[in-house]
Amino acid sequence: MALPAGRGGASPGYPVLLAGAAEQAPSQAQGGGGAAAAPQGPSPQAADEKKKLEEEIAKELGAQPGEASAPAPSPGAPPSGPPPSAQGQPGDVAPPQGQVGGNPFARLLLLPDISAIGRGALAWNRLDVGTLSPRGDPFAPAHTVQAIFEELELGVQAVIDPYARADVFLSFTSDGAEIEEAYLTTLGLPAGLQVRAGKLFAPFGRQNQQHAHVWDFVDRPLALARLLGGDALKGPGLDVAWLAPTPWFAELHIAYQALTPAFEVRSRNAGVARLAQFFDVGEASTLGLGVSGALLQEQQSGASREIYGADVYLKIRPLSARSYAALQGEVLARRLTGAVGAADEPREESGTLWGGYVQAIWRDGPYFAYGARYERAPAVQGGPEHRVSAIAGWLPSEFQRIRLQISYDRLPGGQDGLEAILHFEFSIGAHGAHPF
Amino acid sequence: MKTLCTIAALAAAALAPLPARAALKVVTTVEGLASIAREVGGDRVDVTSLSRGIQDPHFVDANPTLAVKLRQADLLVDVGLDLEVGWLPPLVNQSRNPDIQPGGKRRLTAASAVSVLEVPQGPVDRSMGDLHPAGNPHFLSDPRRVEKVAAALAAKLAQLDPGAAQAYQARAADFQRRLETASARWLAELAPEKGRRVIPHHNSLTYFLDWCGLRSAGYLEPKPGIPPPPSHLADLVGVVKSEGVKAIFVENFYDQRSADILARHTGAKAVAIPGDVGGFKDDHGVLDPKDWFAYMDALVKLFSEATR
Repeated sequence: MALPAGRGGASPGYPVLLAGAAEQAPSQAQGGGGAAAAPQGPSPQAADEKKKLEEEIAKELGAQPGEASAPAPSPGAPPSGPPPSAQGQPGDVAPPQGQVGGNPFARLLLLPDISAIGRGALAWNRLDVGTLSPRGDPFAPAHTVQAIFEELELGVQAVIDPYARADVFLSFTSDGAEIEEAYLTTLGLPAGLQVRAGKLFAPFGRQNQQHAHVWDFVDRPLALARLLGGDALKGPGLDVAWLAPTPWFAELHIAYQALTPAFEVRSRNAGVARLAQFFDVGEASTLGLGVSGALLQEQQSGASREIYGADVYLKIRPLSARSYAALQGEVLARRLTGAVGAADEPREESGTLWGGYVQAIWRDGPYFAYGARYERAPAVQGGPEHRVSAIAGWLPSEFQRIRLQISYDRLPGGQDGLEAILHFEFSIGAHGAHPF
Repeated sequence: MKTLCTIAALAAAALAPLPARAALKVVTTVEGLASIAREVGGDRVDVTSLSRGIQDPHFVDANPTLAVKLRQADLLVDVGLDLEVGWLPPLVNQSRNPDIQPGGKRRLTAASAVSVLEVPQGPVDRSMGDLHPAGNPHFLSDPRRVEKVAAALAAKLAQLDPGAAQAYQARAADFQRRLETASARWLAELAPEKGRRVIPHHNSLTYFLDWCGLRSAGYLEPKPGIPPPPSHLADLVGVVKSEGVKAIFVENFYDQRSADILARHTGAKAVAIPGDVGGFKDDHGVLDPKDWFAYMDALVKLFSEATR
């Protein structure tokens, strides 16, 4: 949650000219409707006429055979946005005379929302996690307290034009800078469709699609790091999401992306599918259920890599409270057939590995949060690794979190060890609100 | 295969046509706007509010099931001034409804119809708390501004449903007449208390106080959205005593402890008030404002009783 400034001034400047021109059409049609102030029901007729006229004009414009590829905005609804400020009814607020010298903040109005989110930690581990329990998240060498700079995320977000918006997230870590995500999202495709194109987190499972500052725990569940991707399962591609016309929320994603799976260095072409659903359960709770599948193309003939996942999310929040309880769980399975891995990559053995986690969070009002998590993940060798974690967090405001997470990790073969992470996080600037 | 069943059920649901409805589907962000939309639209509109009156409108969850309501909306009415910035934008983006985007032809931002108070002059940053950089968005308890919102709604509905333009104008005019009558009654009820000072929790009563001639002697929150530390409450104890403040008003979705403590130290009354239409049941279940008039009745009654 954040307070982006000036989101309303989404498209000042030249689009206004467009809007002004385009607006003629509807207002004329309206004038017609109003003038035919005959008793009632002139609207269907007017609509018919308008449709006919629209078809005629389309012909005159020389619509191509594949006319369906017309631009995104809903037909007959040109970007009729009047300048944002004059959005009410015309006569009311429009200042009769202009502002002397124009708007001195014109440049600022065109700026995208810019935000920076910093994350760092003090970590202590009993085990040599780097070799025994590889993961991408903050950890220290065995028996050492170490300060860790995790990430600075720079967000740049804005609408591109009336048809799409763009969200860019740059990640700066001690390994260097990378584009974490950068994608375009359509805003007005018909038939409940929405396309995202660019570099994006694969629409697989729940937590894989969230940035780290949204997570309830400090680190990524081990199962996600080992079965999906050390960082996140992400890459350039296209995600088509269809919102089904059901009374509950049901969204089907089909994505085609180049993804780099866990422990690999090269990306593979992959197809990803996900069905996410949300239901209201009574007045105070929401239940989310998701199933996901991904098929990654391997170079060797006969080799394939499949990943499946199921996720559950339940949030219980009395309407007038800031406190809530949230339960979340995911299971993942990865199946390899044939000899997988390119020449310069570790050869992975075929077979099926699975893991998952389940966690509970209690948010105690605006300022405190507590949670517990159990995880199971395939260890580097010799069977499953189990880990339990507890977390307590203080949120002085919506824009920073200070959290302490204590975990106990148990590896196959009886090795085990405690871990402790004191974690800091801040957010400045206008960062768009997160989806649920 | 549960997955397959779910997908099959989904496909079936997708193919089944939705029942045709003549009424315009109006979706509002808060219940106050929903009530005004019902007044202006009558039975030509089918109004739904995304949030409930007992919720803090700053902190509604961006629950995807709300995006489903926006998908079919013929008109989205929001308050604006970043009141809903924490939850409305992702819902609008999920809705696939291009016309309800900011500035879209099926979007009406109520703030665009009213003159806005407390617009910050000069630099703004978050050391000032959860300040709304565009100005104070809590104008739905001010009859003068509600009248403007109703007029803007009538114009918008007329634009979307030109056949009934006259009906909307007539209903808006009727609403305005009733509003003016009620407003005169409310002002008369509050007249004896004019000029008295009160302490609200948040700066959510600025417009109401400005309308009825009461004044605020300070706020429980030292800065918008920041909880009062003991030092601030201690300061307020002095203010309450020196300015003769009789009542502290807290929307019932806020924590009441600070108000109770201040009341205990000063003898002023701590009064829980509805945040919006549908926002309240008092201890006896008496006040349960079903529409905007009932909400204002409740507010005026609570204020006149507590400040007397």
